[in-house]
Amino acid sequence: MSSRRPGAGPTLNFKAVLLGEGCVGKTSLVLRYMEDKFNTQHLSTLQASFVTKKVTLPDERRAQLNIWDTAGQERFHALGPIYYRGSDGALLVYDITDQDSFQKVKSWVRELKQMRGSEIALIIVGNKTDLEEQRAISYETALRYAQTVGAQYVETSAKENDGVNELFELLTQLMVAHHGSKQQNDTNALRLQNSISEAGVEPDLDENVPAVAAAHRSCCGI
Amino acid sequence: MMANRAPMLRIGQQDLKCRQGCGYYGNTQFDGLCSKCFRERNDKQRKRQKAGEDHETLKVNTSSAGGTLERKSPQHSLTMGRANKAKKQPEKDEPTTTASTMPRKKFTVPAVLQKTLKSKFPTAAPQPRVPSATESQFMLQLRQLRIPDDGKRKLKSEIQQLDHEIRKYMNNNSSKNVDELSELVQNAYTRFADLVHNDARFEIATNEDREIAIDFFEKVVMTQNHNLLFSPYFTTDEECDIKVQKRIRQLSWITTKHLDCSIDEVNAEARDLVYNAISELVGIDSYYSPQEKLLCTVRCCRHIFELLKRSTGGPASADDFLPALIFVVLKANPVRLHSNLNFVNRFTNASRVMSGEGGYYFTNLCSAIAFIENLNAESLGLSAEEFDAYMSGEQTYSTPWESALLACESLHLISENMKCMEQLQKRNSVISTGIKEFERELIEFQREITEKVDMVMEKAPLTLLPIKTPPFLISQARAHLAQDGGEAAAGHYQSNLLSLSQQTLTVKGKEQILEDSQLDVGHTLALKDTSVSSVGRLSPLHPNLPQPDQLFASPIFNYTPFDAVSLLEETSENDDVLMLGTEFQGGLTNINYDFDLSDQSGENSVAEDTKLNLDEFDPLAQQQNSPNTHPAETTLLDTTADSLIDSDVPVSEVLLPSPLKPEVANYRGFSNFEIPSISCNTGDFSSLNQDVNDPVAPVQINK
Repeated sequence: MSSRRPGAGPTLNFKAVLLGEGCVGKTSLVLRYMEDKFNTQHLSTLQASFVTKKVTLPDERRAQLNIWDTAGQERFHALGPIYYRGSDGALLVYDITDQDSFQKVKSWVRELKQMRGSEIALIIVGNKTDLEEQRAISYETALRYAQTVGAQYVETSAKENDGVNELFELLTQLMVAHHGSKQQNDTNALRLQNSISEAGVEPDLDENVPAVAAAHRSCCGI
Repeated sequence: MMANRAPMLRIGQQDLKCRQGCGYYGNTQFDGLCSKCFRERNDKQRKRQKAGEDHETLKVNTSSAGGTLERKSPQHSLTMGRANKAKKQPEKDEPTTTASTMPRKKFTVPAVLQKTLKSKFPTAAPQPRVPSATESQFMLQLRQLRIPDDGKRKLKSEIQQLDHEIRKYMNNNSSKNVDELSELVQNAYTRFADLVHNDARFEIATNEDREIAIDFFEKVVMTQNHNLLFSPYFTTDEECDIKVQKRIRQLSWITTKHLDCSIDEVNAEARDLVYNAISELVGIDSYYSPQEKLLCTVRCCRHIFELLKRSTGGPASADDFLPALIFVVLKANPVRLHSNLNFVNRFTNASRVMSGEGGYYFTNLCSAIAFIENLNAESLGLSAEEFDAYMSGEQTYSTPWESALLACESLHLISENMKCMEQLQKRNSVISTGIKEFERELIEFQREITEKVDMVMEKAPLTLLPIKTPPFLISQARAHLAQDGGEAAAGHYQSNLLSLSQQTLTVKGKEQILEDSQLDVGHTLALKDTSVSSVGRLSPLHPNLPQPDQLFASPIFNYTPFDAVSLLEETSENDDVLMLGTEFQGGLTNINYDFDLSDQSGENSVAEDTKLNLDEFDPLAQQQNSPNTHPAETTLLDTTADSLIDSDVPVSEVLLPSPLKPEVANYRGFSNFEIPSISCNTGDFSSLNQDVNDPVAPVQINK
């Protein structure tokens, strides 16, 4: 599907979906991400369910990031495929104080793996680290799970603005990497440290994120 | 397939049947065949197709040659338009030729039917030609694109190529698959995008302009082929449309509560936004190109976000948005929903659906419809029994939405009625004021008239009386009377008459006298009557009129004494004047002298007399108080003159001419000249004799 995109063009177009149970903070993450980069006037335009962001990649190419929020209610679970169809990345968000939301993430992962295989970049996001004392899922548990399914794991706090930018920068990198692996000729330009392959996962990749993110601080906010 | 047999509209009854004559209904999408016959024919045709393949490729070559020729033409802008149409011609002819040749090949259909079919197909074929206005608009837009001329030419040829490919696929490929078609179009998009971004001809164009060119490419092709690609006959889109529509109709009982969405149904502003969103959603079907459909979707969703922003107080998330969108779709129940979605999905540039605002909203719309199609009791938080009851219509759900609508409706009606009533009231008041005004005018008019009449009466008779009673008559009469009757009486009369003629006695006094005399003497009644009639114009009722005998009697009786005197004979020159005089004299002669005496006494009591007069007329109209004073001042002779006219004219002259008048009319009517004048215009001249015609002729000559 995504092969139809005008890949040769200078602007890369990436689509990422936010999946997760209701009230885990999907929208808050997007809002926090956009708020820091955009002035509030732009934010106040209308909605937070769909945002686009132009970023500059390390190789000076420009990319557009489309982040699609999805409805988290259980009744809409079946509609997931419509959203993640053709997407390059997926953020699976759960609430670290809510065991159920983590289970939901697991079910999403299963579904995505089944439907999209390895052609989609997965990041599991444990949100609400500001509620550390109420934590229900330990960092290790989540990380271990992420490793087993070949996904990245990031913990964030949308409220405290902790790790949000890093999360989206990691997402961008992953998607660029996926895109590059699809277009073999481009791989050289997209050398990520430790080269994230589709199947292989680095256990401590989230530790690398800040370093990578630093290189991408030049993200322009238009 | 059975559902497909549902007849298409705008076709005569006999055309609905399968052309093969098998008795089943046909379908225009199957060339007027029923599904079975169509399949059979297709199988046969495919066999023949292989044989005719070579011929087909030839055709393609010629048309593509035309395209290359055109590319070489130096002036592109003007010639392109013409060349484009000229080039389109052979392409468009293809379907018509194939359609018309097909029946000849295969079917043994009655000649009459074939004709109707032939005439039907050309009407279907020119449809792509209908947007010739849009085509020319596209040409204009193409000219305005900010890409090099080379690029424009390339763009145009690419458009034509894809156009041709689509038509070729639709016309030639016997087993059609919409996915193949979609693939074909998508590949063309990709190819063109690559071309735009890499080709040297587009090198100087900015990225933006390139994107616009790509957009343009898609838009033109899709608009021109909309009728072929939208809900193609080999898909089940149409059935899906109907299914979804039915489903939504069944789900009309769903409320915002069921969907957990935060739309305030009772809020007027929110309702307005919902209506806006609904109208945009319904409007999707009215656009041709996928881009426009997507834009329409975006507008719809923006309304919803606006709505949600108001109810939630912040930027809405997808958690709020999707239920709201579902609700809007349920309430809108747009036509051809599936066809529209599939059309966009298949034939728009894939990147458009995958990214961007339009893509996101479109995806949401798709998922909303998927939700609607698959929703069950669980997804609405209802028990299965409840859900079934609602779905079957056994149980009605009185929703705040509906009640709000009802309330709205009734309020609307009330306000409408109020407006109507207000208008009526206004009209009524206008009418009543008009009536009052009219009344006032009438009174004014009456008053004016009476005033004028009184003034006229005041002026005119004043001169009459003194002249009309020449002293020599009096002397004569006196002499005569002196001969006939007692001198005492004559003396009284003379004195009375003199006072009348010289002083112009006012009626005030006289009327009083007359009234009194009326009781006793019939002759005085004539005078009395006149006085009343003069005033009677003011009042509708004439109290003394019902005694006409007395009116007529008075002059007759009066004459007798004067005949003896032979007053008439002597002064025959002025009949009326004499009459006045004689009348008056006669009237007075018969009056008892007692009254003459009282007359002199009565002259002093003017006020009392007027009062008496008033009393007599009051019951009829009170406004006559003021006018009454005027007639009261009129002279006696004036009133007598009136009495003469009133009495004499009706008796002698008015009655006589009446039989004569119709005769005059008849005479003119039956004259030989006038009859032709009715039949024709020239008759006027003929009726007017040749004298009339002669002056006309010179006028014409002068001209």
